[in-house]
Amino acid sequence: MEYLGQYKAVYKAKAGCEDILAKSQDGGIVTAMFAYALETGIIDGAIVAGPGAEPYKPEPMIATTVEELFASRGTKYSVSPNLALIKEATRSYGLDKIGIVGTPCQIQAVRKGQLYPVGLRDVPDKIALALGIFCMENFPYQGLFQMVEDHCATKIDNVTKMDIGKGKFSVYTERGVNSQIPLKVTHKYEQPGCHVCLDYVANMADISTGSVGTPDGWSTVFVRSAAGEAAFNKAVEAGWIIAESMDGVKPGLELVEKLATEKITKNQKYLEHRAHKEHAALKPLRNPYT
Amino acid sequence: MSKVVEISPTTRHEGHSKLVLKVNDEGIIERGDWLSITPVRGVEKLAIGKTYEQVPKIASRVCGICPIAHTLAASEAMEASMGVEIPDDAYLLRMILQCGNRLHSHALHDILTLPDLYLPGTDIKVNPFSPEEPVRSVAKRIQTLRMIGQTVGEIVGGEAVHPSNPRVGGMYKNITPRAKAKIYDLAKQGIQLAREQMEFMIALEENYMKRDWAEMCGREVAIPQTLGYHNQGYMAAAPMYGSSSLDANPEWDPARWLEVRPWDWYMGEEEITMDDPAYPVGGTTKAGAKAWPQMQACTGVPLYDGQPVEVGPRARLVKYQNYDRKGAMGLNIARAMEYMDCMYKMIEAVDAIDTSAPVCADVIPQGDGEIGWAANEAPRGSDVHLAKVRNGKVEWFSMLVPTTWNFPVCSRALTGAPWELAEVIVRAYDPCVSCATHMIVLDENNKLVAQKLLE
Ligand SMILES: Cc1cc2nc3c(=O)[nH]c(=O)nc-3n(C[C@H](O)[C@H](O)[C@H](O)COP(=O)(O)OP(=O)(O)OC[C@H]3O[C@@H](n4cnc5c(N)ncnc54)[C@H](O)[C@@H]3O)c2cc1C
Ligand code: SF4
Repeated sequence: MEYLGQYKAVYKAKAGCEDILAKSQDGGIVTAMFAYALETGIIDGAIVAGPGAEPYKPEPMIATTVEELFASRGTKYSVSPNLALIKEATRSYGLDKIGIVGTPCQIQAVRKGQLYPVGLRDVPDKIALALGIFCMENFPYQGLFQMVEDHCATKIDNVTKMDIGKGKFSVYTERGVNSQIPLKVTHKYEQPGCHVCLDYVANMADISTGSVGTPDGWSTVFVRSAAGEAAFNKAVEAGWIIAESMDGVKPGLELVEKLATEKITKNQKYLEHRAHKEHAALKPLRNPYT
Repeated sequence: MSKVVEISPTTRHEGHSKLVLKVNDEGIIERGDWLSITPVRGVEKLAIGKTYEQVPKIASRVCGICPIAHTLAASEAMEASMGVEIPDDAYLLRMILQCGNRLHSHALHDILTLPDLYLPGTDIKVNPFSPEEPVRSVAKRIQTLRMIGQTVGEIVGGEAVHPSNPRVGGMYKNITPRAKAKIYDLAKQGIQLAREQMEFMIALEENYMKRDWAEMCGREVAIPQTLGYHNQGYMAAAPMYGSSSLDANPEWDPARWLEVRPWDWYMGEEEITMDDPAYPVGGTTKAGAKAWPQMQACTGVPLYDGQPVEVGPRARLVKYQNYDRKGAMGLNIARAMEYMDCMYKMIEAVDAIDTSAPVCADVIPQGDGEIGWAANEAPRGSDVHLAKVRNGKVEWFSMLVPTTWNFPVCSRALTGAPWELAEVIVRAYDPCVSCATHMIVLDENNKLVAQKLLE
């Protein structure tokens, strides 16, 4: 399946531990995988999107304990420049085996850094586990703030979860006051850079995971690399992760592929559009893929 | 009748230099000039008007073997001018960085100098690239020592080549407990290897002194007892780290320093009258060519108490430990003896670090143009930077780097040696010619600006 990248296996899965599931976005795959990898020495630290100075404003952090991983659970729909710590992790943090989670573009950066380490001395061989999360688009913090506070009329300080799914952007608060807006309202807040992105399911990751395709509380998981396969299978064996076949799961891989195809075709068109003179009146715009 | 022979370029050291040698009929050097022919990059000049944050990062790029020295000396010269006191733990991190870099640099120099030396009891010179034992294990040990030095540098300094962590005011980041443990582990591995390497190098260097001859150009060239002797003095600012004008008792004195042009110190124009195509590899400069050291030398000549002085490992041991071995091998042995101090000081400093303590000064005054200096004991000797900072901008900047000090001293130390062994003497100084090559600034009265500012 061209739009979903190369993978060895795909599962419907979730964390085996209720504590992880309690505040994770979906099946808690990212937190469970990293926690297992930390406990067993597959990694000695993980770069995750931790809590920032303002609610839902992510701040990259290096988690070396399960408690720190717990603090990073849940999706923050705003840019978390996780790669900013990739070199520092090997420096003042003294890590040898790094885990990193990121959107597809961030996993691309990890792989590019490993193959073409410009200014990244001693980093390439220290990436031990790269977990990718599916991503349709992302938002600058101001945009996210406006979506929540203006369109959803909800104080961002009170929000306990945000979610994009079934064509809607939803926010949930502790007292159960939920709001939803149609995704078309959010389009103008997307970061423009996302419109040239040709990767939906983190094709370059060791393991990719997202919510689309599986029921609430579960995740869709692609196991891609040999390192990813070894770590995932051991985590399943040890009970950290419960994995089931995708056969017969609704809406299943079909929906994942449909959305991936939509994203890639739409953005490919935009790339072609940028290459035409009419776009910028003066000259064609740069294409990073050529 | 003296003849003139020229070795250009010299090899197995950093940068670009040459030797212009006047020799007697036996080929013994009567007067030798060793000079830099590396293009002047003028870091001191272009520093003017830039911010105090940038200049140490630019100065670092003077040399990639000892960027630690330039980064720290430049940062500390700014701190001295601005009156910034850095926190203790920042100093400890800088100390570890210093030790890691010296370890790596000395080990690297072993690779450069080994091909001159013989395996004791044999007439076999050491080829560090040989896959045969015992050389293979030595090469592996050297590379492991370098890996340890560079990895430790990366952890505390942010980067092994051009450290990113130092900043004016201290450091950007403290290290984590995990990083501290990693440094301990590396140091533990290093201490054993460093001892073995020190003993190995000293054995080879002492063996060289006992030899009657060394093979060069296909001949047996007699090794004089006094190879590389000179009567210049020594200068050092600390056994390990350095000193600055903020210290209660500074170990360097700008009033004793003067810089002159190569004109006063080097030979005039000479014609090359002797050549030897067998000099490895590619022969010497062809007879008939001209050399003009006074004009071609790309360094200034710094003097201390009116004389060129030797800096480096031996100068440190002479000043702080009454070391007394002279000559080229005496200098190489002093260098090997510094291995253990790198390890002990590293462990001492990492022991003392509080990983949760602040590493940057709370207040950083922006400078009122006062002059400040800092001497860093680079692997090759005292690296003194002087600066004046006003309102956050560098008004004046000068670098007196180790190899600059050593150029004229080493030139004098060539006298009495067979010309074929001149490079053995040069290599004992572990020269860093890129480091040495810097800018001389004259004012409108043709007076040296640096000199004038300190009058
Ligand atoms: C901007 C964005 C868009 C997404 N779009 C889709 C989509 O279209 N379809 C879909 O199926 N899934 C999408 N996801 C993924 C989904 O929301 C979950 O992150 C994913 O399923 C992992 O859930 P989990 O329960 O396994 O992870 P958890 O155990 O909850 O852990 C989540 C991990 O993601 C990290 N993280 C959170 N926010 C960010 C961020 N902004 N940047 C980088 N890392 C972050 C956290 O640090 C944490 O480690 C998107 C995620 C983001 C950040
Ligand atoms: S849409 Fe693409 S570019 Fe934008 S955040 Fe997601 S992966 Fe990155």
